[in-house]
Amino acid sequence: MTINHVNIQIENLGNELKKLLKQPNKRLGLLTSIDGSQLITLVLNTDSHSVDVINSDLLDKNSYSSLSASIPQAHWFERTLYEMFGVFPKHHPRLKSVIFNDSNNLILPPLANKTIIRDVNQVDTSFINIEAENVYIVPVGPVHAGIIEPGHFRITCVGETIINLEIRLGFLHRGVEKQMTKIPYAKTSYLASSIASDTSIANSLANAIAIEQLLNIDVSERTLYLRTLALELERLSMHINDLSGMCTDIAYSALAMELARLRGIVFNMADNLTGSRYFRYFIGPGGVRKDCDKNLIVIKKLLKELKNKLFKILFHILNNFSFTQRLDNIGKLSRSLANDFNMVGVVARASGIQYDTRSIFNQGIYPQGIFKIAKENNGDVLGRTKVRIVEIFNSFEILENVLDNIKSGDAKVDLNHKLSPNSFGVGIVESFRGELIHLIVTDNSGFIKRYSIKDPSFNNWTGLAIACRNNLLSDFPICNKSFGLSYSGHDL
Amino acid sequence: MMIIAQIILTIFLPLLMIGIIRKLKALFQNRTGPNLFQPYFNLFKLLKKNQVISQDSSFVFIISPIISLGLVIFLSFLLPWLPFNKAVFESNIFLVVYLLALLRFLTIISAIDTGSPFSSFSTSKEVTFAVLLEPAVILSFLALAIFYKNTNLFYIFSSNQTVTLNQIPVFILFAMSLFLTSIVEFSRAPVDDPNTHLELTMIHEAMILENSGLNLAIVEYTYSLKLLLFLFLMSSALAHCLLIWWHLSVFAMTCLTVFIVFLLLILLSFIEVFTVKLSFNKIPNFIAYALTFSFLAVFSAIVNRS
Repeated sequence: MTINHVNIQIENLGNELKKLLKQPNKRLGLLTSIDGSQLITLVLNTDSHSVDVINSDLLDKNSYSSLSASIPQAHWFERTLYEMFGVFPKHHPRLKSVIFNDSNNLILPPLANKTIIRDVNQVDTSFINIEAENVYIVPVGPVHAGIIEPGHFRITCVGETIINLEIRLGFLHRGVEKQMTKIPYAKTSYLASSIASDTSIANSLANAIAIEQLLNIDVSERTLYLRTLALELERLSMHINDLSGMCTDIAYSALAMELARLRGIVFNMADNLTGSRYFRYFIGPGGVRKDCDKNLIVIKKLLKELKNKLFKILFHILNNFSFTQRLDNIGKLSRSLANDFNMVGVVARASGIQYDTRSIFNQGIYPQGIFKIAKENNGDVLGRTKVRIVEIFNSFEILENVLDNIKSGDAKVDLNHKLSPNSFGVGIVESFRGELIHLIVTDNSGFIKRYSIKDPSFNNWTGLAIACRNNLLSDFPICNKSFGLSYSGHDL
Repeated sequence: MMIIAQIILTIFLPLLMIGIIRKLKALFQNRTGPNLFQPYFNLFKLLKKNQVISQDSSFVFIISPIISLGLVIFLSFLLPWLPFNKAVFESNIFLVVYLLALLRFLTIISAIDTGSPFSSFSTSKEVTFAVLLEPAVILSFLALAIFYKNTNLFYIFSSNQTVTLNQIPVFILFAMSLFLTSIVEFSRAPVDDPNTHLELTMIHEAMILENSGLNLAIVEYTYSLKLLLFLFLMSSALAHCLLIWWHLSVFAMTCLTVFIVFLLLILLSFIEVFTVKLSFNKIPNFIAYALTFSFLAVFSAIVNRS
């Protein structure tokens, strides 16, 4: 992957970016800052497989005119920027808090290089309040009636119909991005592996790719195969889990139990491959941490066993009329809205956007044409379920291909002690949720100055809020499950 | 003697039946499942626990589960659910139907009393369904009354009746209507999922969300006893049809009734495991099926009445 550096004046950024993003092959990857005195915009070129890093220095003191009005993709980024760096976007449509919803934490932005005190009057932690006859508000969470992560949903309803959904996150903010800059680069991989437990492989892979760019090293071919194996197994595991959760939510307990049981086989494969049933700490910069030839045969056997059992169930799901009927036409997200709000991953593909970073950015062995990108056009819950099912089929194909063709050799490269100074490292990985970006910026002496992580959930939470509108309140859990978003990945 | 047997069954059978449903569901899902007597263990556990009572609730919250339990026990003497139970009180179908309505009223005020948003929220759903369901219950009982020109249930179900071929459709339709009714009444799948604790979809579970300890134990026991009565009533109706061909002794009838209840439990758990929960706005359609069977029962009662 090549990184092109571009400098754009801050006052032109809005127009230039709008022009760029109008082109079909460009996507806004990330909008962040290094220390609060500039904006860094990552634009992904899906045709030339390269990344543009746009640097715009802030001239005015900690403020600029907001991009969100013309570029809706940026609205969540700008809200986070304001909280983390104190960079104030003027005329932002709604500058609500994202992470720090507690009034004690409102004032000091944690990632800025200098002490900036935000104006209390500018800080907005409110909810949209709709007052009318027959309108009532249902608050759900952050403590839920089950073992899931914390998130608060405020649902405004008329009768059974949702007219507005507001999502409040940030309960799991742990200061990951700041911690990443305080530890030696070799240890960031361990931290990356644990920031969101279900995205362990994808996060550590993105970290490894970014670090390897900064070290200017190439990994061996065997490493690429093993990484692909791990990434696809994680996808398999989580897609099965999401389907199982879907079945639980519509009280189809027969399939829910069966899928949960079959997921155990994937855990066994993970145990054989990575030494951990939850894929922990497998991928590191320069290679993988465990390589055992013998176990690949076991994995192959388990994969065959799983395929026989799982495919039967998946075909049953696709042909079960009551199942498809239940999920049809609820939680719709139109293609244009999915485009405007920069949806990624399963959600984008269910809304008809053919975008899969596996076919664009190097992250393992994905020869062109080995898999067809799963796509549905309806953008509803059924569409997202179908995309997951097709991706499970694709993953099997990739896994079989990888296991057949895996090269022998070393799976570890020696690393330098220093990262190259003043450079950018970008790791883009298609996690099971979608496009995951790790951006590392180093300072003069090769230490990590800024570590920015963009989880796919960061994009997609807005999509959930939009998709739930005009649906039945009792369908909200299904819509939520079909998005399958991460709280810890978003909050960091 | 008979009354003692009935009391023993009333005490021990309901929770065992819940245990059987859970075990059957587990077996359908390829799981081992909990112990058959797990509901009893849960009951003892709940009895030992403290009660947490919302400060906003009044005496209604504490007292209405107890009254409900009393009513259901009273109901167990009013319904001819066992072939051998004798009328202790004068039994009348209208009394039964409106006792059921009173029972629901008590559950509802107890749920609203705590002021919990989820309870009141699901209560409004429960009431919506109850309003639709009530005609189905009344008409299905009425069909029997029309056929026998008598509103005494013990007279209708007494084995001394001369049984003719005419009554078979009435009894079968009555049982079918009652089965569909009880799926809604007892919040089983596909209308509600008794396993779910999703705040926004559960109906029955949300209504008893605030109950704990002794209070919850009473609510759960009441629920299972009511389910027992409904299932046994269906089973008696079906078993009654067989009296045309065989004249069975009371003991044989009892065995047959229990066997049919077991079949009904298998059916209930099968439906629960293998169906997808209905969308909220499709549930009235489901209730319409129950109502249709009730109407058919009434029509066949009118047509076949001698």
